[in-house]
Amino acid sequence: MNRFADRDHQVSFLAEQLVEIEQRLIPTGLHVFGRAAELKEKADLLRMVASFERPEHGARALPALVADALGLDPDVLSEEPNNETKELIDGMVADAISRFCEKEAAHAAGWLNSKASVKVEDSLQTFKLLEKISEQLDLNHEIESLMRALRGEYIEPGPGADIVQNPFVLPTGRNTHAVNPYSVPSRTAFDRAQFTADALLRRYLDEHGRYPRAMALVLWGLDNIKTQGEGVAQALWLLGVRPIRDALNRATEVEEIPLDELQRPRIDVVMTVSGIFRDLFTPTMALLDKAVRRVAGLDEPPEMNYVRRNVSESVESGTADFDDAVARVFSNAPGNYGTNVNFMVMQSAWENEAALGDLFVTRKCFAYTRDSKGRTVEGHEAPELMNDALARVEATYQNIDSFEVGITDVDHYFEYLGGISKAVEKRSQSRPSIYLSDSLSPQTKIRSLEETVRLETRTKTLNPKWYEGMLKHGFRGVAEIENHVANTFGWSATADAVDPWIYTEISKTFLLDEEMFNRLHKLNPHSLQSLAKRLLEAHDRGYWNPDEEVLEKLREIIFQLENKVSVA
Amino acid sequence: MKVTVLYVGSSLLAPLRRAEGEINRRHGLDLLVATHNFGSNFTDDEWGAIENDLNESEVVFVIHVMDGENAARLISFLDRERTKKRAIIVINCMPDLMKRTRMGKLDLAKLSGVSRKGASREASETEGKHLLSAVTSWIGRQARGSRAKSGGNGRGRDKYLKWAERLPNLLRFVPNAGRVGDARNYLLLMSYFLQPTPRNIESMILLALKNYIDDERLLAIEIPPPEALPSVAIYHPDAPALFESFNAYEVWHSQFKGQRPTSNGSGLAPNSTIGLLLMRPQIISNSRRHYDALIRAIEDEGLSVVPAISTLMDNREACERFFITRVGSRKSGVSKIETTGNGQPTTDNGRKPRVSQIVSLTGFSFVGGPAMNDSEAASEYLRELNIPYRSLVSLDAQTIESWRESFTGLNPVQTGMQVAIPEIDGATEPFVFGGIPARGVEPAALEDRCVRAARRIRRWHRLQTAPRTELKIALVLYCFPPNKGNIGTAADLDVFASVFDVLSKLKAEGYEVPLPDNADALRQSLLNGNSDEFEAAPGAINTKDGELLIQGIKLGNIFIGVQPTFGYEDDPMRLLMSKGGTPHHGFAAFYAYLEKVFKADAVVHVGTHGAMEFMPGKQVGLSSECWPDRLIGELPNIYIYSVNNPSEGTIAKRRSYAELISYLTPPIENAGLYKGLATLKELIESYRRVVNQDERERIFKAIEESRKELNLGLC
Repeated sequence: MNRFADRDHQVSFLAEQLVEIEQRLIPTGLHVFGRAAELKEKADLLRMVASFERPEHGARALPALVADALGLDPDVLSEEPNNETKELIDGMVADAISRFCEKEAAHAAGWLNSKASVKVEDSLQTFKLLEKISEQLDLNHEIESLMRALRGEYIEPGPGADIVQNPFVLPTGRNTHAVNPYSVPSRTAFDRAQFTADALLRRYLDEHGRYPRAMALVLWGLDNIKTQGEGVAQALWLLGVRPIRDALNRATEVEEIPLDELQRPRIDVVMTVSGIFRDLFTPTMALLDKAVRRVAGLDEPPEMNYVRRNVSESVESGTADFDDAVARVFSNAPGNYGTNVNFMVMQSAWENEAALGDLFVTRKCFAYTRDSKGRTVEGHEAPELMNDALARVEATYQNIDSFEVGITDVDHYFEYLGGISKAVEKRSQSRPSIYLSDSLSPQTKIRSLEETVRLETRTKTLNPKWYEGMLKHGFRGVAEIENHVANTFGWSATADAVDPWIYTEISKTFLLDEEMFNRLHKLNPHSLQSLAKRLLEAHDRGYWNPDEEVLEKLREIIFQLENKVSVA
Repeated sequence: MKVTVLYVGSSLLAPLRRAEGEINRRHGLDLLVATHNFGSNFTDDEWGAIENDLNESEVVFVIHVMDGENAARLISFLDRERTKKRAIIVINCMPDLMKRTRMGKLDLAKLSGVSRKGASREASETEGKHLLSAVTSWIGRQARGSRAKSGGNGRGRDKYLKWAERLPNLLRFVPNAGRVGDARNYLLLMSYFLQPTPRNIESMILLALKNYIDDERLLAIEIPPPEALPSVAIYHPDAPALFESFNAYEVWHSQFKGQRPTSNGSGLAPNSTIGLLLMRPQIISNSRRHYDALIRAIEDEGLSVVPAISTLMDNREACERFFITRVGSRKSGVSKIETTGNGQPTTDNGRKPRVSQIVSLTGFSFVGGPAMNDSEAASEYLRELNIPYRSLVSLDAQTIESWRESFTGLNPVQTGMQVAIPEIDGATEPFVFGGIPARGVEPAALEDRCVRAARRIRRWHRLQTAPRTELKIALVLYCFPPNKGNIGTAADLDVFASVFDVLSKLKAEGYEVPLPDNADALRQSLLNGNSDEFEAAPGAINTKDGELLIQGIKLGNIFIGVQPTFGYEDDPMRLLMSKGGTPHHGFAAFYAYLEKVFKADAVVHVGTHGAMEFMPGKQVGLSSECWPDRLIGELPNIYIYSVNNPSEGTIAKRRSYAELISYLTPPIENAGLYKGLATLKELIESYRRVVNQDERERIFKAIEESRKELNLGLC
């Protein structure tokens, strides 16, 4: 490649990164119960709603409609950004949506017809859906619902999800429900999961030149309810099985996908299941266990069936008998929840990182499987089985489904994905590759943990649009910023996945900028103090090595704050 | 001779045991009836015993079996044993099992394979051809597993139940020979089964014996026709018979209530009457002690009840007949009472509820029965009535003992059917009140749970009826991680602004609450503590000089408190435990304070989420030994919860009996670019515009610098 071409290529690559940051959807602020959405600009949200096919509403995805009408290959939509055709389509959709926001559905549909020859009747349903969402966002009955509940009236049930995922969550003020546990994974979830899991394997293959001996997956109730079981379906697809539904349409069995159809080895997956998933999807736990057993029992060459290979290895080495060696579904003790890794990190109560991984296994080593008599057991403490399974793991992974909850928004992502990665690191004597999928856009993308931390930091923590949105809420906003810093720190503690520059930029933005510092101090000195202490901890633990000047300033701030704050 | 009955449910065992005894006594037989509840999965040993019984039996009944695993084992056994001469009678099971029905010349595997046309041609040779073809095609449809669209199914099967009531008369015209005779027998067995009175169950067994076992002693036995009971009715344990109308019940009730010291003086006043939905088979087969205990517990709380037996598939019919009155209707004895509950409005078409809460004990969806649920129809119906809907749990597919011992609580079948599905109808309070004991043949009440459930119902009743000025509400906030800066933690929620708005609304609604100046003032007073009674929040350990401290403030009849943390701060070693971890004293004291000292009428948890519902105990179907159950006690629990978190919210619903009020997530926008990132974008744009290579080189350098500054990677 000549020098010019190389230069152009570099610039394109940077431009792609910028597009990724710029277009990522982020929550901007907090909700006040009972108040209508303070959304100056609904266009971003509505555009995202309109980018999904929604057969349940009879609404087509606008980009697909435009591509169709222009006679373009719809695959163009799933390619990387920065391609001109995609830009053209996205631009048209964006224009149509702003026209919709200015006027109304029929007008926007008419416009799309004149510009892109999309038939009015094709797009009108989509705009009508947007109209309904838009209206519902302007009204809010939450407080009235609370009053009704206090009067002992009936509170209507409603589904739970992000608005983009499922506009049926509107109106709010309803009694949110889960799903029928036998309904997962849905057909759509299974289709999407194939795409995601294949992309995951492709990425690993690109980086390592082979498939992982075993992977560890984190399964939560949260995303599996909202996506009707995409995480579950990903595990099944990696194993190379598909769910079978019985006559009552319940997913209670699996069948193997033949190797010549699968075109790759069956991947061994260790599944760490949240206590909530365990409670909500008990039949699914049994389904996953059944899937592993079935795959382990297939008469296939070991190089094409890693489950069989790994299980035989354990059995032959005398580590475990078959029933124990196939244990892959682990969760908390029955009736217990969480890894406690988050508490440990938040309280700085740990001495070395390995202890965090060990704590993860202590809490999560309850095997949900069957005994040799074929009886389902409720979860028995089996650290040795979990250790054995984790020792072969080379990649860890979690599916993210939400625009609204990212890996630095809550402490649960690092306690789970971070916790298991740290546990694997000690047991396999090598740090696994850590991945997250972004199944939140119509086109799934796989990212490494490090990439995801950078993206989260750039789009949220360091982004004035984000933190100013939080600071509108004063006291509580400062606490949110501090929480994001603490959660980011959690990724250092559990996975060493935070670039030092991130801590530098955080300290510059919130502590070393005098004006900002004073604002935060006035709003919530307690959280500001915690934030400063956390940054100092990041240095003390070796995740960040700032200039002595910066350190000095940090210490000074903490000293000052302690004098002012800790009177009570 | 031996009969094996494999079943799911709690109402069959008692009549079966009784039938066995009666048949042997009356006819001098040596009949053995082996029974196995297929509700939960079996060990290999247990399965061995079942196969043993099956092998020794000439007649096998399979009833209500839906679970995949048990069914799969059974199917493979039946297929293995196909050649054995044995009647296999499958009733109301999953289609794959229905197909295994084999009685004399009737083989549903074949029948379900033939077309409807074929079936009717076959049947046309007989007199009862019309009837029989309709029936066989219905059975065939069951066996093929085709299901009607949502809504239709429930109604279709209800119609079937009614039609089955008339069936015995019609069957008199069907000849009793050959395959048609066997189909006739199947239908007769169904007719007995659908009216499972003790006598009908006895007849059902006898009919099977007489037709499918060669034994001279059986030939002379006369079997009575099925006795029929109404499909919907009102039941009361103290009443001599079922009531087919509300009026008849009311007349009896008004005479009866004087005899009971605890009953309230207002008869069946709509605002203090609880509508109960009961399973028909339990009532008809006299397996109803758990119902009786709950009914008495509710009456002991000073409330009246209308216990309606309902047709399994669609509870709307029973509700319509017994829980609804039409304003101005001459029939109604209560039409002069203008409002129910707290001024609940009359529905548009003049229908008015006669009850103030509906409590379902059926364990099934409100519309649709066991195999499907039409939740939309359910919530539409309940929304119009606008009274709360509860669904309590009877342990029908596991024994009381297995539930007690289990760390999980309910088994997956029960959780799915009796908790997860009713939730979609908007049901709350998944409270276990009774079930099948390991020994004994009929359901038993969990007395302490019945009392607790009844008291919770009464608490809700107080919210509906007491003057607002008397009602005390506790608002519970969180502080996590424990640090003054985090007071008012909740996902995506500005808690103090929200609480301030809620207080304002409460005041406007007539609750007794002096308003603070604004949200900030509210927060300040909570941080500082506003009286000697309460501690400034959060205190490190909730204790001081041996006294337990409660963190919160009282504003009139409203208490705003901060839920204590897990308590790990004091004792990080607790974090290392693999399980258990009871709440510390301060945590328990907080909820004890709300209920016993402050005497809250309801608690509102503000935002996603607290720790109480995650305290140790069973996962679902809690007992009085489970921590969340002990902590929430009798308090109605309303939980303001983020709409994007249905999973953790469901834990709150199931483990702390919370009714969720969803809140919107914050506005979502594109992240956009800022500071150096925005500058870099401009640079890239000019790089692309410029053609002069020197100029480009200069811009590229600037891009490179900016890239490094921003820590962006190279490809």
